Amino acid sequence: MTRTIVVTGAGGVGKTTVSAGLAVAQARTGKRTLVLTIDPAKRLADALSLEHLGDTPESVEGEPNLFAAMLDVSASWEAIIHRYADPEVADRLLVNPYFRAIADRFPAAQSYAAGERMAEYIESGRFEVIVVDTPPSSGGVDFFLAPARTGDLMSGRVLRWLTGSRLPGRSILYRMTAKPMLRLADSVLGGPMLSDVADFLLDLGTMYDRLTVRSKTIERHLTNAATVIVTTADPTPIHETRRFFEELAAIRIIPVAILFNRMLPESWVDESSVRGSERGAASGPEGALRANLDVWAAEARRQVDAARELSARYGLPVYELAWVVPPPATLDALNALVSPIPSADHF
Amino acid sequence: MVTTELVLVSGKGGTGKSAVTAALAIERARRGQTVLAIDLGSGLGLGAHLRSTHLTYEPTQVIPGLWAMTMVRAAALDEYLKTQLHVPTGAPTKTLTSALNVLVDTAPGIREIISIGKPAFEVWKNSWDAVLVDTPSLGQFQSYLRAPTTIADLVPTGNVKRQAASIAGVLTDPDTTQVVLVANPAELPVLETVEAIATMSDEQLCPPPHIIMNRLVDRATFSDGDLQGVTDGPLRQAAEHQLSVEDEHYRWLVELGASSTLPYLRGVLTPGEVAFQLADALERP
Repeated sequence: MTRTIVVTGAGGVGKTTVSAGLAVAQARTGKRTLVLTIDPAKRLADALSLEHLGDTPESVEGEPNLFAAMLDVSASWEAIIHRYADPEVADRLLVNPYFRAIADRFPAAQSYAAGERMAEYIESGRFEVIVVDTPPSSGGVDFFLAPARTGDLMSGRVLRWLTGSRLPGRSILYRMTAKPMLRLADSVLGGPMLSDVADFLLDLGTMYDRLTVRSKTIERHLTNAATVIVTTADPTPIHETRRFFEELAAIRIIPVAILFNRMLPESWVDESSVRGSERGAASGPEGALRANLDVWAAEARRQVDAARELSARYGLPVYELAWVVPPPATLDALNALVSPIPSADHF
Repeated sequence: MVTTELVLVSGKGGTGKSAVTAALAIERARRGQTVLAIDLGSGLGLGAHLRSTHLTYEPTQVIPGLWAMTMVRAAALDEYLKTQLHVPTGAPTKTLTSALNVLVDTAPGIREIISIGKPAFEVWKNSWDAVLVDTPSLGQFQSYLRAPTTIADLVPTGNVKRQAASIAGVLTDPDTTQVVLVANPAELPVLETVEAIATMSDEQLCPPPHIIMNRLVDRATFSDGDLQGVTDGPLRQAAEHQLSVEDEHYRWLVELGASSTLPYLRGVLTPGEVAFQLADALERP
């Protein structure tokens, strides 16, 4: 049985680094672990032996139980098409400009591809633990909604409007596009766009049944996974974390923990206030050092308040990860980053 | 002659685009300009920074001189059809709206042109001193800028294509449009910004962008040497933290070469405070 940890959070909070840290820590307890990562910084990719940015799991040098893979969205979509469409349709789809546009832009596309990859690795039975870094859009909530949304796209909501039935044959389509109103639409819009689109959707629609079944499986994997939210105490990530909780609750996913990244030591807060009360007219270097402690202590205080507030609001354990500069980029440093999380609680 | 200035703000997710857009808008309004801020992104970011959680498609005044609105696709589609495509009278508008809806979901460029079209329409009205736009991620921003070309490749003729060409004219006019890219002093935001600048310049998508390095920590007023003899404890730790953050930040600032910087704010609680404090920072010489 594979345990899956899904790491979510707003952009820029250190999700990818934290995912890597969790994976290293798991691997060091002896479990065969895979980290499925998205867009790691160069130093982090180096630490994970990902210089080839491979889409297949490669073992990480210096960490016998750890494997890492990068998500390649474009390659993943090709794999999905080959898997779920008939060969002839697949060939047509892959060169279709509409398909390329959707695969590149549809926000759920990257997320769906990530979910599909995750499911493949879970089902392969090759790993005891899989840590999944999520695509950055809308704090990762897309990752959970993507299977259903992808189904919507394929189900031909659009086709139904064009043709009036769910998966019509091409002949019906051509009769429909011959209708005066649609001809008018095409002439105002400036080309045979609607019939091109309909052609494309017909092809896409042939994948619908198989993909729907698959989406349900991916959703089940996601429900069984442990979801953690990474945030920093900065105003925007906190704001997005709250929104994210609401959206996850709506699809009945309850995170198991909040990881507060880039935390400063709480001891600075007390030290700053003690010194503040006994402050004389310190000037020169001594005064500059004190002033520096004061501004960082103000930041530390705000971080503590934000972490407590969020913990109380959602009744979840909050783990505080230290602010490491520059960001951790060795296996030991990654492991140290997540050390505040007790091993018994390793989700 | 159009005198409205168009400012398009973009950047990697998490760098503070919405906060910076809000700050730029607040600062202009404080200078007495009449400003419209448009949220093309999540619909939450800009509103939170302007302390107005319920932005609508209809602009509402958030502070004296500053109006804000958010993109609502159905409304934008309707406006596009009525005021921009010049649909012939007596045409079945409902059918055309449905047809456009289909294309918005599927055809490359259509959704983007409707989004980026709105700021252009507001510029054409010539009733604002400035229109500031908070756009989604760098990748999507480039799709917006490319939309006119994408559409031209897709449809040989017609109103949609003509309209897209007019919008492209606004976006690439250096007298009207300024692109602002927001970055942070860290590896990924810097590298992605460098890459985006190169792509935008190669494809001539817009005038050369103005780069704002946001969240740059202020330089310390002490140096390494001042730490001599200071025993371990919060005073020393905070000083060492400051120096290592500085090292990291200024290293990436050099790498990117920003046109201007905005400070890393400490002890700030809400998105609203962030935007107003950044606006204060913009006012400082």
